[in-house]
Amino acid sequence: MFGLRLVRRENPLPGGQVFAFMVGLIVALALGAVLLLLTDHDPIEIYSKMADSSLGSPQAWSTTLTQAVPLGLAGLAVAVAGSMGLWNIGAEGQIIAGAIAGTWIARLGPDLAGPVLIPLMLLAAVVGGGLLALGPALARAHLGVNEIITTLMLNEVAIRIVRYLVNGPWKDPTAVGFPVAPELPEQAALPTLFERANIGVLIAAAVVVVFGFFAARSKWGYELRVAGSSAQAAEYIGISLRTKILTVLVLSGAIAGLAGGLRLGSSSRIVEGIAEGWGFAGIIVAALALMRPSGVAVVAVAFGALRVGGTAIKGQGVPASIADIIQAFVLMGALGAAVFTTYSLARRAPGSENASMVEADA
Amino acid sequence: MNGSLIDSFVAIVTDIGLWVSILEFGTLLYLAALGETIAEKSGVLNLGVEGMMAIGGVSAYWMAIESGNPWAALLFAALATALFSMFHGVLSVVVGADQVVSGLALTILGLGLAAFLGQDLVLQPPGASFEPLTLGPLSDIPGVGPTVFSMGPVSWLAAALGVAAWFVLTRTRAGLSLRAVGESAATADAAGTRVVATRLVSVGVGGALAGASGGYLTLVLAPGWNEGATGGLGWIAVALVIFGAWKPGRVLLGALLFGGLLALGPRLQTLRCQADQEDACIGFDVNPILVSMLPYLLTIVVLVLLSIRSRNRPSLAPAAIGLAYRREER
Repeated sequence: MFGLRLVRRENPLPGGQVFAFMVGLIVALALGAVLLLLTDHDPIEIYSKMADSSLGSPQAWSTTLTQAVPLGLAGLAVAVAGSMGLWNIGAEGQIIAGAIAGTWIARLGPDLAGPVLIPLMLLAAVVGGGLLALGPALARAHLGVNEIITTLMLNEVAIRIVRYLVNGPWKDPTAVGFPVAPELPEQAALPTLFERANIGVLIAAAVVVVFGFFAARSKWGYELRVAGSSAQAAEYIGISLRTKILTVLVLSGAIAGLAGGLRLGSSSRIVEGIAEGWGFAGIIVAALALMRPSGVAVVAVAFGALRVGGTAIKGQGVPASIADIIQAFVLMGALGAAVFTTYSLARRAPGSENASMVEADA
Repeated sequence: MNGSLIDSFVAIVTDIGLWVSILEFGTLLYLAALGETIAEKSGVLNLGVEGMMAIGGVSAYWMAIESGNPWAALLFAALATALFSMFHGVLSVVVGADQVVSGLALTILGLGLAAFLGQDLVLQPPGASFEPLTLGPLSDIPGVGPTVFSMGPVSWLAAALGVAAWFVLTRTRAGLSLRAVGESAATADAAGTRVVATRLVSVGVGGALAGASGGYLTLVLAPGWNEGATGGLGWIAVALVIFGAWKPGRVLLGALLFGGLLALGPRLQTLRCQADQEDACIGFDVNPILVSMLPYLLTIVVLVLLSIRSRNRPSLAPAAIGLAYRREER
């Protein structure tokens, strides 16, 4: 076609993913602008309002970082499993499981002092998230059951468990109207870091840094990557695949569970929609970051800003779902742009019109 | 919990309303699961069903209000969603992006777009509904008369599409090509089958059926549109394909079984008491929210059982599912 053909690069372009992300962002903002125009909104006005409310002041940054916490941890959860070639699609449910477990602790010991209660709640959240991932992990490690479907199904189970609790056993008898759980004790709130952000930001950042370090530098991370790229090679050098699958998936669930626990420190009570789609967004975050923890942190902050912006424009009559739409378009744009980082254009040699072996379908 | 368990059980399963509801949920699930079966048979996993159903639901509801014709609405939903599914088609088939990532992005986009585009439809009354279909004397037969022989036209359409899909997949050359692409794209390519085109068409057909399923949801099963209308039904459709071992007939059985669970949930608890007789109530003391988890838990149990049963046996899944095909890497 046009005397040009696509040739797959031996190595993807350095910095290619940054390029792909930028392309994705531009494509997404352009498509979002079309949607806004179609619904009689001024895209420039809406976008500048979104940027201002999410990045324009210290207070804006504090809300953006607060959103980036669950996004980053969910993204990290997906990335940890992804670096071994496993898919944890259940972060949404694991966030809920973490929040349920944390709330349970707060209900057991409502009079405990904050410095005791908060670590216990977070620990419970980690365990809760890990427990929800345990079933899929065992099934995958011992029976080879596809973890994509099992983790996906458990999302819907977790959503219904929290719905049951909030509408039933945990319903606040004094609340009128919409059923809600009672507020958590005051000392369960995480200490403030600055403006509206609390120390959850530091905890999440520390977790991402620690995993980034271990994934890149430790034997554990190395074995993970070997197991991800070739099961046979892993078995050959003495890595137990079963143990690896089990630990990685449970760890992944535990990280997502921590996100649920940290959410409790920011909101006053557990609600039905406690996971707010963060688990699914985490998959986009991890995919854009190519499963690397450092990338997860950057994308999480960017998407955190998008979400804060999306909420801020509700007053203008624009549904907050514009943030989800833009996130999905960013990923799709980046997936499309990856063609250019993994392929290069080459002039077709004369007389090689039929050289179909090297011609990509793209 | 009063009254006898057996009385309650008999009262619930002999209720015609339960069986009508099973057929309705079955229709909804079958349309979407059949579409996913076709896409997966060609080697493309599409985790975008939940989002595609939302797009189908909002398109059908809008078109029903605009045109007043339920068939136009259903057709529009199918076409719009087929077009929408091309985001996944182009990215996963043409570009070769990871099918899991691209499919989930389609779900997130679909749910977001449907909520965005449908915000003015939320409180609007339905614009059209399907006429009930009665088949003369057949509809008077006790048992099947008021249920199977009184089901709506879309249910018959779904059944016909199932037979057509079975026929095309197993008895025609086109179906053979489609399955070949899903088993080994390189081999099919070498045999002269157009891999990319076959997969794109399969994804598009899957999208059309998921869209029709969403339309059935907002036009028939629960008339109305609101954000989150699909409520996880699309994920059940994805699970059904595995449950049904990628076979249109078995997927139908699964759709009716899972439809049964969905229909049963809210009915188990329905307590009907005779006046002044508190110990003669009918129904079970179960929470409908907990019952609504059953389809998802059952899917996991079935997956585990299937994998135990199929150890040391060849997998039932299309061999090339999830694999992008790049000709130059053949």
